[in-house]
Amino acid sequence: MRTRASAQLVGPVLRALPRRALGAGAAAGLVLAALPRLLSTHPDPWMALLLLRGAALAFALGLTFLLDDPARHVTAAVPTRRMVRGALRTALVAPFAALWWTAAVLLIPAQVRPPVGDITLEAAAAAVVALAASATAIRLTEEAEPGQRVAITLLATSMAAALLLPQHWGLFATPKEKWWSPGHQHWALILAGAAVVWAACGPEPIRRRGFFATRSAKISPSTG
Amino acid sequence: MTTTVSAAGLSLRYGSTRALDAVSLRLSEGVTGLLGPNGAGKTTLLKVLATAQPADSGTFTVLDHDPSTTGGRQEVRRVLGYLPQTPGFHPDFTAFEFVDYVAILKELTDREGRHREVRRVLAEVDLSDVRGKRIKKLSGGMRQRVALAAALVGDPGFLVLDEPTVGLDPEQRMRFRELIARAGEGRTVLLSTHQTEDVAMLCNQVVVMAGGIVRFEGTPAELTARAAGRVWSSAERDPGAMAGWRTGLGVFRNVGDPPAGAELVEPTLEDGYLITLDGMVAEVTA
Repeated sequence: MRTRASAQLVGPVLRALPRRALGAGAAAGLVLAALPRLLSTHPDPWMALLLLRGAALAFALGLTFLLDDPARHVTAAVPTRRMVRGALRTALVAPFAALWWTAAVLLIPAQVRPPVGDITLEAAAAAVVALAASATAIRLTEEAEPGQRVAITLLATSMAAALLLPQHWGLFATPKEKWWSPGHQHWALILAGAAVVWAACGPEPIRRRGFFATRSAKISPSTG
Repeated sequence: MTTTVSAAGLSLRYGSTRALDAVSLRLSEGVTGLLGPNGAGKTTLLKVLATAQPADSGTFTVLDHDPSTTGGRQEVRRVLGYLPQTPGFHPDFTAFEFVDYVAILKELTDREGRHREVRRVLAEVDLSDVRGKRIKKLSGGMRQRVALAAALVGDPGFLVLDEPTVGLDPEQRMRFRELIARAGEGRTVLLSTHQTEDVAMLCNQVVVMAGGIVRFEGTPAELTARAAGRVWSSAERDPGAMAGWRTGLGVFRNVGDPPAGAELVEPTLEDGYLITLDGMVAEVTA
C-alpha cells in the first residue's frame, strides 16, 4: 500500500517541486562554472576552485527551497508521512543534481580543475547542509515555505565561515596548501553531521521532548 | 450518545504561554462547535486532535484509535479530515489535481476509485464546474471549498474544521453552513469558530474555551440557558451591565446581573457565551 502510494505520488510531487528556485540555483552555478569558457580566459587553479565552490553554493541555495510546501498545513494530518514526501522530493532531484555537478565540473578546464573527489565532497556537504537546515526549519517552525529564510542564513553563514574560520581548519584551503587534506576530513565531518541532523528532523514527533520542546517557544501560539 | 472522540488532560505550552491546560472533552456524532476568544487555545486543540501538533501531556482517542504511538497516529490519520485555519495550496494544481494529490496522501491507491471519490467530494462542495481550473485562478471562497473537499476526501469519520467561514461573504458563509451540516451527518465534526450564529445553526454540542481551559461543554440550549434571567432591555445603557449595546430597535440590550424590576428578554447563545466568559476575557488577555 505504502509503496503504491509513493509510486503514485511521483507525478504530483514532481509538479509540486519548487522548480524556479532549483532552476535558478542550478543555472547560476553553471554560469559560474562556465565563466572561463564564456569569457575565453584561462583561469588559474585558485580561480577555478573558487568558481566551483561558488557553483556548489549556488546550487545549495536553490536546494534550501526543495522542502518548501505551500500545502504543508492542509496535508499535516495525512497518513503518508512527511518524511516520505521529503525523501521522494530528494530522490527526484538527486539524479538531476548528479548530472548538474558533472556538467559544472566538466565546464572547468581540465588543466586547472581541482581534485574532483575532494571538491565533490565539498559540494555534497553544502547540499546536505542546505537540506538539513531546511528540514530543521520545518521541524522547528510552522512555516510552510522557509526556503528563502534558510537560503539567506546559509549564504550569510558561508560568507562568515570563509572570512572568519581559522586557516588551519582548511575548509577553504587550496590543493597546494597543507590544510587541504585535513580540511576535507572536516568537510566529511560536516557532511556526516548535517546528514544526522537531517535524519533527526525527518520523523514527526509523537510527544514534544527535550530540545524540540524548548525550541517550540519559537513557534508563536495560534490565534484561536 | 456514543463517544467517538475523547481527550483527557491535554496540555501544551508555548514557552511561558499555556495554550492548553489539562483539556478534557468528549465528542459524539454530529457537529460540535468550539467557541472562544482569540488566544483561547482553540486552534492548538484542533491541531493536537488532528495529530498535526503533539501535546506535552495528556491522552486522546479518535474512533477507538490511540495516537500515542507512530502506528496509532497513522490509524487516526486514516479516519481524519483536517481543514486548517490557513490552508495553502500548490497554486499551479487544478482543484481536481490538488484533491487527488491529497487523496493519494490518504492512501487511496486505486486510481479509478480515487478519481471517482475526488469527483464526488468536489461535487459535494459544488466545485464540479471548476474542477479543471487552476487553484490560483479560483476565488477565496472556492479555495476554501477546495480545502474542505481535501478534508472530506476518503470519507473520514472525524472532521476537524478550523474557522472555515472566516473571510467569506454572507452568501458563501451560508453555503459553507450547508456543507458543514451535511458533513455532520454520520460523522463527528469539530468546528472552531468565532461566529455564535454558526454554532446556533449547526451544532448539537458546544465547547467554550478560554485561557487554554474548557469553560463549558454541553448543548447550545444549555449554553443559552446560562443567560436566562441575565439579559434585559432598557432605554439607556445600564452601567451595571457586563455588556450592553443599542439594538436596531433603539433600546439597549444588557447582559449581566439585572437590577430589580428590569425588563428581562429572551437570551441568545451569544448571551450565554458572554456570561460564560465573564471576567475570563480579561484574564486571558492580561
